[in-house]
Amino acid sequence: MAPGNVITPMKPEEILRLIASSRGTAICVPTMTTAPEWRDIAPDDLSITCAGFMGGASSLGLGLALANPERRVIVFDGDGSLLMQLGSLATIAGARPRNLTHLLFKNGVYHTSGAQNIPGGFDVDFVMMAKGAGYRSAYAVHEIGEFKRRLPAMLSEEGPVLVELHTGLAEKTPMTARGGKPLSDMVDALRKKLA
Amino acid sequence: MPESVPASLILDAYKEIFKEARGGQKTDPLGWVLSVPDTHQKSVLAALDKERALRTLTCATEDEANAIAAGLWIGGEPCIVMIQHAGLYASINTLRGVAIDGKVPIFYMIGLLQRERDKDPRESRHSMVRWCEPLLDTFSVPHARLEGPDDVHLIAKYFKLSRERRGPAAVLVGLETM
Repeated sequence: MAPGNVITPMKPEEILRLIASSRGTAICVPTMTTAPEWRDIAPDDLSITCAGFMGGASSLGLGLALANPERRVIVFDGDGSLLMQLGSLATIAGARPRNLTHLLFKNGVYHTSGAQNIPGGFDVDFVMMAKGAGYRSAYAVHEIGEFKRRLPAMLSEEGPVLVELHTGLAEKTPMTARGGKPLSDMVDALRKKLA
Repeated sequence: MPESVPASLILDAYKEIFKEARGGQKTDPLGWVLSVPDTHQKSVLAALDKERALRTLTCATEDEANAIAAGLWIGGEPCIVMIQHAGLYASINTLRGVAIDGKVPIFYMIGLLQRERDKDPRESRHSMVRWCEPLLDTFSVPHARLEGPDDVHLIAKYFKLSRERRGPAAVLVGLETM
């Protein structure tokens, strides 16, 4: 980057639209602030929202990946969410799911509850943590052009892979855009589609 | 008086359960065991290490085990979650969110570490033991005690119950397995 240039944080909505156009038959696991937008972008498809057990998206994604080894699973995690079950990084690395892409939407705050800083704020280095846990690869993406360039690899490279996406705040949160199906309905729908 | 249960009996029960869950189909693995290691069930975990038909995944927390179990079940893979009573306390919100609200059948083998041989668990001097069944009752989780080899059939019974009721069910391991 040239001196003086400032990177504009990526918009989560733009990232999600790009994923939707490239994901093929992948199962997607949104959580928290990616959930309302993803509901609009990809209704009634191979997705299940981690709702009601914050921090569980990566583990839910792991279970899906192990049960469906021929299909890509993409987790849309949050930094505050991942901190709630940080041990899942080691569990995922230990299980070595080749088909798991763990996208971390990093905004440095608990957006849904009022944008309080997460512990450590934006300085927490999840890339280093994922590498230390044993992920096959982990890297950060700071701007949308780079995201577009690297997206095909993110969705096809051997996992587990963690990508730390430096984003601004989403336009909607689960509190400002309530709705969505109950978890039990999503569980039933996805189970039927995968049968 | 309760007795210890041999690990081999428990593993045989797991295999039968998984075979039945798959309608008799042979698969590799036959089923999954999600474990947060439990001193009380360590002989079972040691036997699982040598067992090729079952795949054991050690989880860092019981919260993870619940969510992984959900993903496996959605994908058609049967599993059993092996934890300790302390892990039940630690993960009760995830049990509520996943197994109860999400209507995901999750079957738990819960070790009652420090359970006294000569006391009913509800009268234990250890709060971890004493409060386990009342906690399960509070969340309407059906449970049974594995108090000896004659109770091994309860493992299959409560696994099936979790599926029939689309929710959690548990067997409490009374004494350390051998």
